[in-house]
Amino acid sequence: MTAKTRYFLLGSVLVLTVGLSIGLVAFYGGMPTGFFSAQQGPDELKYIPADATVVAYANVKDVMASDLRQRLRRFEGVTDEGRNEFKEQTGIDIESDLDHIVACGGPKGVGGEANGLILARGRFDSARIEALAVGHGGTVEQYKGKRLVLAPAGRDHEGATHGPGMAMAFLAPGLVALGGDKMVRLAVDSGDGAGSVLTNTQMMKLVADMDNPSMWAVGRFDAITAQASLPAEVTDRIPPITWFAASGRVNGGLQATVKAEAKDEQGANNLRDIIRGFAALAKMQAGTKPGMQAMMPDIQLAGEGKEVSISFAVTTDMLDAFAAASALSGKMKKNIEKNETK
Amino acid sequence: MSDTHPVPNVPTPPGPAAPASAPGPVALPQQAPPFFSAAMRVFDLSLGQMLWSRRTIFLALIVGSPLALGILFRVLEVMGLGGGVRVGGGPVAGPTIFGGMIWLLYLRFIVPVLGVFYGTALIADEVDDKTITYLFVRPIPRGAILVGKYLAYLVTTVFVVLPSVAILYLLVVPLGHGSLAGAFPALLSDLALLGVGLAAYGALFAFIGATFKHPLVTGLVFAFGWEQLALVLPGYLRRLTVAYYLQALVPHSMPQDGLGGALQALFRDVPPVWVSLVWLAGYIVVFLALAARAVERREYVLEQ
Repeated sequence: MTAKTRYFLLGSVLVLTVGLSIGLVAFYGGMPTGFFSAQQGPDELKYIPADATVVAYANVKDVMASDLRQRLRRFEGVTDEGRNEFKEQTGIDIESDLDHIVACGGPKGVGGEANGLILARGRFDSARIEALAVGHGGTVEQYKGKRLVLAPAGRDHEGATHGPGMAMAFLAPGLVALGGDKMVRLAVDSGDGAGSVLTNTQMMKLVADMDNPSMWAVGRFDAITAQASLPAEVTDRIPPITWFAASGRVNGGLQATVKAEAKDEQGANNLRDIIRGFAALAKMQAGTKPGMQAMMPDIQLAGEGKEVSISFAVTTDMLDAFAAASALSGKMKKNIEKNETK
Repeated sequence: MSDTHPVPNVPTPPGPAAPASAPGPVALPQQAPPFFSAAMRVFDLSLGQMLWSRRTIFLALIVGSPLALGILFRVLEVMGLGGGVRVGGGPVAGPTIFGGMIWLLYLRFIVPVLGVFYGTALIADEVDDKTITYLFVRPIPRGAILVGKYLAYLVTTVFVVLPSVAILYLLVVPLGHGSLAGAFPALLSDLALLGVGLAAYGALFAFIGATFKHPLVTGLVFAFGWEQLALVLPGYLRRLTVAYYLQALVPHSMPQDGLGGALQALFRDVPPVWVSLVWLAGYIVVFLALAARAVERREYVLEQ
């Protein structure tokens, strides 16, 4: 073997080793965000506080343009009245001016303070929206170089102020933040990404697993149930889930996947059993009514160890069957009403 | 392993069409190396020849094209052009693009092409160059020559294809916020799969090269005629292809809509992984043995 050949083989092994090593480091969670790639998830994540319990994303443009939405609109008989009214007031056409939204829920605030935050990316007339808010009693203040529009606090029947203070801020051109006063201020604070959810390894691992769906939500299930203040009878029956990740892709129909991580394998097995039970019950119900069979999505249950995953697809055929059944039911109702009036 | 290998100064047999050597058993000297040792000597000799031949330019071009595509995707993303790669109107994430490239470019094109061009040339090139005599007069089993050359082919192609896949992984997977971590298990499977694919196609085309008169044409017809046709035909004909068993090992799923979904639906009927592995191992062993047997028994006629 010549030296040239030997060098070539060594170089080849080196390239392969480097590639595999980077993959291996990334696999075990040691890859810094932004290394070899743009940051995982949408850019707006840098405004989400690190202690957010749930983070969600929706590609409004894709959803609005999807065949699924058009079918649902026909099915529901939705008109453009509300949309037009909103557009007249704010100048925002939800269908064309909004690109995507990122939302989060933070830890429960003191005294029931609003802990939600919505970041909307699109094309907005900031002056018009600000004027509208001020016209409705809002006040404007400067906070770290950003203009914050604060909504007037609510008053109870005794005249005392109460409730969450809502706020709005234009964080960047085409990016508006809406939510609780504290959350909007936190979004302004973490504008450089420091102290944002990008530093939350566990949450970002879930975000990174999202294969560019139209919408997704990830979060700590235990924190959500704790915030919901559910009665003990309900919480006792909820399987011990720590993390969850749900995603959906709209293109024609809807392909959705929900993943959950239980506290232990026993919990995961229990959860699988519950899902199997519900799926079997639904199948049994549909089996007796042939019309319903066409509307039943095929549910796939998967996952190993502590992870449980359910995926299903709502096809356009199912929606058509649902629409046909609904139309038939409407007709029958009308006939019954006619007969009663006679 | 030594750096230089003297080629024995054996004159080409005279005459208009002289046999490379007489058929029948060849009397070997008592000090002849064992089969594996002989194969390794041929491997050592052939590796450099194969790696630095004109065929390597073709190899570099063919393996470089997916990388060029990956670089283009990255440049487009960095420049913020095109809104990422889109299939059926929807954006496609890096891991899906990577899976698609492995499936369509590497598995369905690059691996068979390399198998055809290198595999069929293992013996055919020596015959065409009239240098096979030099190899056959060496005191080593003829089968060892083929096995040694096959190993050289495997090392050459594997050491070019696999690093290119590793680079492609780093280039393409992060597209559209794709996760390197999430795609890592698929990368490992892909590397193993491509290695098995190169070995299986190499063995098959080595047999074709050692047996048929026009091996390149036969190989191309098999890879891009028979295999493509048999895979889309209903029935059991697809089981007589290598691609059918390789397809079962692909860890990626294609996009569900549009062309990707249609392609996946076409190749959805796949055997279990263990069946595929057994069949591919069988292909490698059987065709390599048949190729070695053909080289042992066949009388190669060198045209003058």
